[in-house]
Amino acid sequence: MNESTRLDVVGRPARRKDAGEKVRGKAGYTTDISLPGMLHAKVLRSAIAHARLAGIDASAARELPGVHAVLTRDEIGDDIAPTYGYFIKDQPIVALDKVRYEGDTVAAVAAETEAIADAALRLIEVEYEELPPVASIEDALSDGAAELFEEAPMGIVPAYGAGASAELRPRSNVCYRFNYETGSPDVFETCDHVFEDTFHFSRMQHFHLEPFAAVAQWLDGDRIQVSTSCQNPFALRKELGRVFKLPENNISVRVPFVGGGFGSKNNCKAEPIAILLARMTGRPVRFALTHDENFLTNTQHAAILKLKTGVMKDGTLVARDSEIFLDSGAYSDASPLVAEKAGYRIPGPYRYRHIRTSCYCVMTNTAPAGPFRGFGGTQTSWACESQMDMIAGRLGIDPLEFRMKNLIDLGEPFVPGESGMDSDLREGLELVAREIGYRERKRNPLPNRGVGLALGFKDGGGVNKPAQARVKVSTFGDIFLHCGTVEIGQGAHSALAAVVAEILGAPAGRVRYMPINTDHTPFDQGTNASSAISVMGQAVERAARSLRAQVLDFAADRLGAEPQDLDLEDWHIRKGNEALPLAPMIMGYFGGTGWEFTADGFHKAETDHAAPLETQCVFWELGWGAADIEVDPDTGLITVHKLVVSGDAGQAINPLVCRGQDEGAAVMGLGQALFEEMVYDGTRLMNGDALAYRVPMAQDLPQEFVSITQEQGHGPGPFGAKGMGEGGMLPVAPAIANALFDATGVRVAALPLSPPRVKAALEKNS
Amino acid sequence: MSDTVSITCTVNGEPVAAEVPTSATLADFIREARGLTGTKIACGHAVCGACTVHLDSIPVSSCSAYAFEADGAEIRTVEGLEDADGELDPVQAAFADLSAFQCGYCTSGMIMLTRALLDRDPNPSGETIRKWLSSNICRCTGYELIAEAVAKAAEAANAETKR
Repeated sequence: MNESTRLDVVGRPARRKDAGEKVRGKAGYTTDISLPGMLHAKVLRSAIAHARLAGIDASAARELPGVHAVLTRDEIGDDIAPTYGYFIKDQPIVALDKVRYEGDTVAAVAAETEAIADAALRLIEVEYEELPPVASIEDALSDGAAELFEEAPMGIVPAYGAGASAELRPRSNVCYRFNYETGSPDVFETCDHVFEDTFHFSRMQHFHLEPFAAVAQWLDGDRIQVSTSCQNPFALRKELGRVFKLPENNISVRVPFVGGGFGSKNNCKAEPIAILLARMTGRPVRFALTHDENFLTNTQHAAILKLKTGVMKDGTLVARDSEIFLDSGAYSDASPLVAEKAGYRIPGPYRYRHIRTSCYCVMTNTAPAGPFRGFGGTQTSWACESQMDMIAGRLGIDPLEFRMKNLIDLGEPFVPGESGMDSDLREGLELVAREIGYRERKRNPLPNRGVGLALGFKDGGGVNKPAQARVKVSTFGDIFLHCGTVEIGQGAHSALAAVVAEILGAPAGRVRYMPINTDHTPFDQGTNASSAISVMGQAVERAARSLRAQVLDFAADRLGAEPQDLDLEDWHIRKGNEALPLAPMIMGYFGGTGWEFTADGFHKAETDHAAPLETQCVFWELGWGAADIEVDPDTGLITVHKLVVSGDAGQAINPLVCRGQDEGAAVMGLGQALFEEMVYDGTRLMNGDALAYRVPMAQDLPQEFVSITQEQGHGPGPFGAKGMGEGGMLPVAPAIANALFDATGVRVAALPLSPPRVKAALEKNS
Repeated sequence: MSDTVSITCTVNGEPVAAEVPTSATLADFIREARGLTGTKIACGHAVCGACTVHLDSIPVSSCSAYAFEADGAEIRTVEGLEDADGELDPVQAAFADLSAFQCGYCTSGMIMLTRALLDRDPNPSGETIRKWLSSNICRCTGYELIAEAVAKAAEAANAETKR
């Protein structure tokens, strides 16, 4: 195979490997699993936002026919660790001393049916001693605010490199603060202008269609087997090992198809309760939340972002000082990691002489916030890209030219010690500007119409994300791919299989992606951070190349040839004009029994103290966006006439799948921009169901919706590929806000850009 | 009063007589009693359409219909679309060819919705497609590839008819 001249599998819009199962309704999800004797779990949720748990009486529930177990804090013994979390172990499996939000888990029941379990929950009596609620970031930080945690829960701060640091609980109601600084703040004094602006970011729910779900059972009394709708089975196994005090080889985590996650399905959700109830009952237990309960389980981070940016009058950016406050909700979940990412990404992909950021995880009595597509990058892109246009306007420079002047060059490190930018940022920006007709519209503006640009940005691939893969090929050329990347909709199984097929000269149909079971599947840190093709892709590529070399060595020995004179093609050895089938060669050598070639590959980014996050970023994820909108001055209603988004796949493994990723992300961004929001009245969620909480429907699509998959070829993954799937979301809200300013001269610095908010802003301005 | 009701119906053409709990939803009946798990329950409130099946050719949200409502009816689920040889329905084929799905959880409902649309209107306009698709929610794709798949399925079916 000569890659430079041809790709046979990679780059083609082939059917995905999961297409047949998914269009036939035959794809298996956790929610579809049914085991003999299986019980069903339901949980009792707190109706009070903040209270001390004075007493629980579950005796009547235990007596209800069909109930097999009731789990309250009284059933939590010393044999388990009662709390879980990412960096900070603060979330109880069931409430211990307090409840901390409306929806907090108080008790759980396992029963013959979900209906019986629900009936039993209504028989549980709970006595609360109410505490003052903490509803918002401002509330939590105000003097005399009630404390969610009177004592600091157990937690860790990971190692950081040059310029980065963090603290646990730097003050009351803040569980974590991330800091980053480079260059001297003195440069602010040399700036012609320093602009300070504050931005508000609203909170969405992931709205994955498959709920959080797990089916658990105990084998031989001390081994856990759990199937779960989870994005990171190995991290989950580690946490379950800690909680249940079991060795990891006593815990088998299986992950079938996952019905969407968008970040939320990292770490413990339904699993600990399903496992505990299974232990209490000696039966398999299925715990599937309702869709309404998803809203009470994990959310995006609302945020307040304060930017202070120093700039020269010619438009050269000099310095950025920022403070970010994330509403983490009641438990830390992934907040420390999101803070790290938001704090790190707030400069955007621009060149500065000084950067200083602090990002705070603020605890409130609302649903826990966690990982969400964009992972802090959506918040920072909103603030950064809005302020870019604001500064350009104040300096009298065109926003496009202002960006072009300050963008990092291809290959230039993001900050000192970092990896180089692996996309040509100007090329992408020019592409979307041209597609929206930016310059023409700036020359000839239309009434109530405006155009806006934005460039979403995040470091992709995750830090501390080792990945391993194994490829096996049996005698007759059947290929087994073992790796832990979860198929959550992104098409990773097909993409990784395509990489293997390409390298082994096989049709994609010969590769089977084996079911994920932590007992057999090689280690992977998790399916997140758009990392599958850039991180796992490198592990898979190495495994496949190693296997290919083994096969060619084997054939060379059999044929008395040199491996470099041989090629592998559809499980034949090509030697000059001959194509020799491998199967007889293998059978002959191994005495008729057959054989499997096996090879492993791994990827680990080098530890590097000079890099702020201890490893250099694996790849940079960009989302270029442009919007052409019309605003109705009477109602404040924004109509998006045209939306353009573009990501850089490096090399598209499957162009249709790349397109679907960018379009899906962009429409999620469109919801965030225009109407989608978890609405809280104090600590009470007012729209926690599918009807009241509105996600974009087909009717909400812009009149023209263009997505362009760039293939700039600079990615670290196989064949120059790099990750995508989050990027398309990042630029949409700021591009629309910038277009709104272009149309009206009014800047709206809070989301969503709903008619009432826009109308109020227009009225205030007139 | 009895807790169950006797119903007779057909499921994907197969005659079925069953005792169903009065509280059972049509989705419960399809998924649990019949083992047809292609029909998914997502929002549970007849908003997202992941649970769409045909009841006497009408697309309904099976999460919010009672099983007893299917008495005397013809039920068709995603499993009933392919022909006896396992050949995909043109709607299924178009969704597969255009990767008009990602996580797959809405896919059965989207396919059943599309099948119902094309049964009524074999040549839907882009606007009609968009209107119909607005009955169901897909959180993954952004709808564009789904809309293209619907158009492609219509074209394929019409080409087939002309032959």
